[in-house]
Amino acid sequence: MKERITCFTEYMCTYPKEEGSLIPLLQKAQGELGYISPEIVETVADYLQLTESQVFGVASFYSQFRFSEPGRHSISICLGTACHVVGGEILLETCERDLEVKSGECTSDMRFDLNRVACLGCCALAPVVKIDEDIHSKVNIIKLKEMWSNYE
Amino acid sequence: MNLTIDNRKITIGKPATVLDVATKHGIDIPSLCAHPELTPYGGCRLCVVEIEGRDGYPTSCTTMAEEGMIVRTDTNVLQEIRREMIQLILSEHPAACMMCDDVEGCKVFQGTIRKVGITTGCRWCPKDNDCELQRIVEQFGIDDLTLPGLYRDLPLEKYDPFFDRDYNLCIYCGRCVRICNEYRKSSVLSLKQRGKQTAIGPAFDETHIHANCEFCGACVSVCPTGAMSEKSRKWWGDPEKIEPSVCPLCSLNCDIQVLTLKDKIVGTIPPGKAHESGGDLCVKGRFCLSELVNRTDRILEPEYWYPEGYGIVSWDFAMEKAREITAGISPKRTALFISPSLTLEEIYTAGYFSEHILKGGVVTSSCLDEKMTAYLKLAQDSVSLQDLDQSGAIFSAYLNGNYNYAPLTLAIKSAAEKGVPYYQLGWITDTTSRFARHRFVPAPGEEIAYLNDIITCLKNGQCNTPEIHELAGSMKKSKNGILVVGPQIVSLSGCITMLDKIRQIADLTGSGLFMPNPYGNLYGMLSLIRMKPVEEILQQIKEGKIDLLYLVGDAPFTKRPKVKHVIYQNAFPSPAGLNPDLILPSSLWGETGGSLLTDNGRIKKYKAVAVPHGYARSHIEIFSGIAGSAKIKRSGFSQKSIKESLSNNFHIPVMGSKKPVSSAGGKPSSPGKRFPYILIQEKNPHAFCNSNLGREIPALGELTLPGHLILNPYDAGKLELKSGELIQLHAPGKKMKFKAAIRKNVLPGYVYLSKINGELEFDSNPCYVNLKRDHV
Repeated sequence: MKERITCFTEYMCTYPKEEGSLIPLLQKAQGELGYISPEIVETVADYLQLTESQVFGVASFYSQFRFSEPGRHSISICLGTACHVVGGEILLETCERDLEVKSGECTSDMRFDLNRVACLGCCALAPVVKIDEDIHSKVNIIKLKEMWSNYE
Repeated sequence: MNLTIDNRKITIGKPATVLDVATKHGIDIPSLCAHPELTPYGGCRLCVVEIEGRDGYPTSCTTMAEEGMIVRTDTNVLQEIRREMIQLILSEHPAACMMCDDVEGCKVFQGTIRKVGITTGCRWCPKDNDCELQRIVEQFGIDDLTLPGLYRDLPLEKYDPFFDRDYNLCIYCGRCVRICNEYRKSSVLSLKQRGKQTAIGPAFDETHIHANCEFCGACVSVCPTGAMSEKSRKWWGDPEKIEPSVCPLCSLNCDIQVLTLKDKIVGTIPPGKAHESGGDLCVKGRFCLSELVNRTDRILEPEYWYPEGYGIVSWDFAMEKAREITAGISPKRTALFISPSLTLEEIYTAGYFSEHILKGGVVTSSCLDEKMTAYLKLAQDSVSLQDLDQSGAIFSAYLNGNYNYAPLTLAIKSAAEKGVPYYQLGWITDTTSRFARHRFVPAPGEEIAYLNDIITCLKNGQCNTPEIHELAGSMKKSKNGILVVGPQIVSLSGCITMLDKIRQIADLTGSGLFMPNPYGNLYGMLSLIRMKPVEEILQQIKEGKIDLLYLVGDAPFTKRPKVKHVIYQNAFPSPAGLNPDLILPSSLWGETGGSLLTDNGRIKKYKAVAVPHGYARSHIEIFSGIAGSAKIKRSGFSQKSIKESLSNNFHIPVMGSKKPVSSAGGKPSSPGKRFPYILIQEKNPHAFCNSNLGREIPALGELTLPGHLILNPYDAGKLELKSGELIQLHAPGKKMKFKAAIRKNVLPGYVYLSKINGELEFDSNPCYVNLKRDHV
């Protein structure tokens, strides 16, 4: 992790020291490290001569940034209108209960992190669950539980 | 520019918002988030108005007044919208204090339905009666809630010193965030998340202390509701009186207002209307004064040392004893120590007392040591704070201004924000560090070399590093640069040489100097009486040349020196081992009026606003009591006679021919594997009448951590150390144990030790040390 932060710091210095660099830098950091850690907030704040509170205030406004370490696999459960109507909420609850994880957090063995998304854009296939880059369509609880075993 | 508001024709000169124009002309538009010092926010939406030719109902605080505008502020539709807005706010804000059948009776009888020993009422908001939301609800006559309530159920935040936060009462007006960002430029608070999850506070779930909060209390002052409240007067209710006064806790002597309740000082706030002013003070002026005056361990009665121990005695007896002691003294064998926190009147009387009653004894103060006098010599030519606004470049050395000198740090920050180049030399990250173009962090033994580099660069343009080149360049280029030197320099080994170099830099660049000190009336003391350096007096005491030691608010001793008599006159208890013959309780700031001489030569007066604790008497009363009415007439100490005896120049004590043993400090040991850390020590940076404010006020102690070894979280992680654990500190030839504290404002690789009292532990400062976790 430390190496990756050093790597990011080197990259950061190519950006101008102005407030406008904040979001591109945060995006880059999330791309490199998977999430915005307190160290990243500190590093970016130091570089742009902002306070950590200012950086965090901006970053936490956007749902694109996450502040906890992602698991090895990422489960996104769609709760858009179509998925919600056909039971997306039940799938989310199942995940929360059986994997012992809350939405937006990561299991203690770092296997899965769980997120809710507003719409994945394939409402005809509702309810939709996305694990890593795979889209699973017309999911039910049994299918969902079977799916987990494919991701270690 | 002409416009019409509510059928009134109004002409304005400068561009302003509709709200400002209306308020200025006596037209009341309700608002909860607008604040005269801050940029408009448009958060509460109560200030909506109708403007002819515009769609909808714009908020007047974010709409600029324009030529020919026709504005209506009080139509039925607007009132209906405002009532709806208030209902929305109240749906998330507990409203039991406003919407209860028993409101009237509750205020009078404070009846409570809970089974408790005292009648408290069921109110639990500390700002009851001082709440802007309450006032607005009353103004609109709302007596019923139309929307279902939602309680956010957030935990009460109590873990930071000085103020509590209950965000269940927050209405998200954003005043605290804006005053922290815009006025204080600290940016500790920010709005986090969004929508329903919106929260106010520092990054992640950090405490304010760790987010480098200055605890200036600006957010508490401007909060319109009870979301933020001062711990010390949380349940005291409204103050009875608000009186203007002056803060005696450092040389800047800020104007303040004292809040009193039943002849007791309950708090201090910056000048201006409550809720409208906020960010002008530091933590000491904002929160510590009332805690200091109300300390529970103040001396309340005169005490006399009988062979079998201390006994409480009457004032008459104490005066008699004091007269006995002073009468039996031969001339020139007394030493009077006075505190630089006393008023001009008190210092003048003390000087007079020493000359006439103590028969020409010497006067000194524990702060007047060799290094401080060198500092003061330079500080004589200090520029005023206003000059900082016009300066073209600022260079600060060892400022460490997190918990003091607020007007100074504010001036630096706003200058730097305007684009004035600012450079900082020193180890501690303070509130101004973020604004520095470059920070210079010298290694031990290199502090002088750094200043030498700057001087060489100024003289012949040759330089080792581009940063120093830039610093020298901008200081030289600007006609009115300012060098800010903090009193931390006094604790450093190379202090005297460094001060010399700083003067050289000032001369070479034509810059002004600004040098604050932590004493409220040091300049007044120096211009009123001629004092001796403290080392000389301590030497005389050691040699047995002093019979009577008279300590007035000052006591640099931990055990009783070899003198015949010690009289201790102070508000706070004497150091444990001093054992004075006579203890005389004196009143404190706020309990007697007086005047202070500020650093720019102005006399600031303040009134007595409270009665002295216990049987304490003012210093002047005590002196004249001892002298007998014939000898000291109180009329002799009128403002006029004091003004006459004030000289334009400070009498800075000059060392006698026999130079006292100076603790110049050895060379710092060489770095290496054995001593990888760098220790920086500082002598008590927050002093008042013989007490260390950090130790006496526990809440301030959480910030300044006297006696703790402060290290960076990164180093603490390496040593596997938690806050509060014991740590062993090894320096060449010395080993000590300290409690550890973890703060981000100390740089990695450095440790910082703020002394409670007395001399430094290690001769050379800074020096290389090693740290080890103490395994118990």
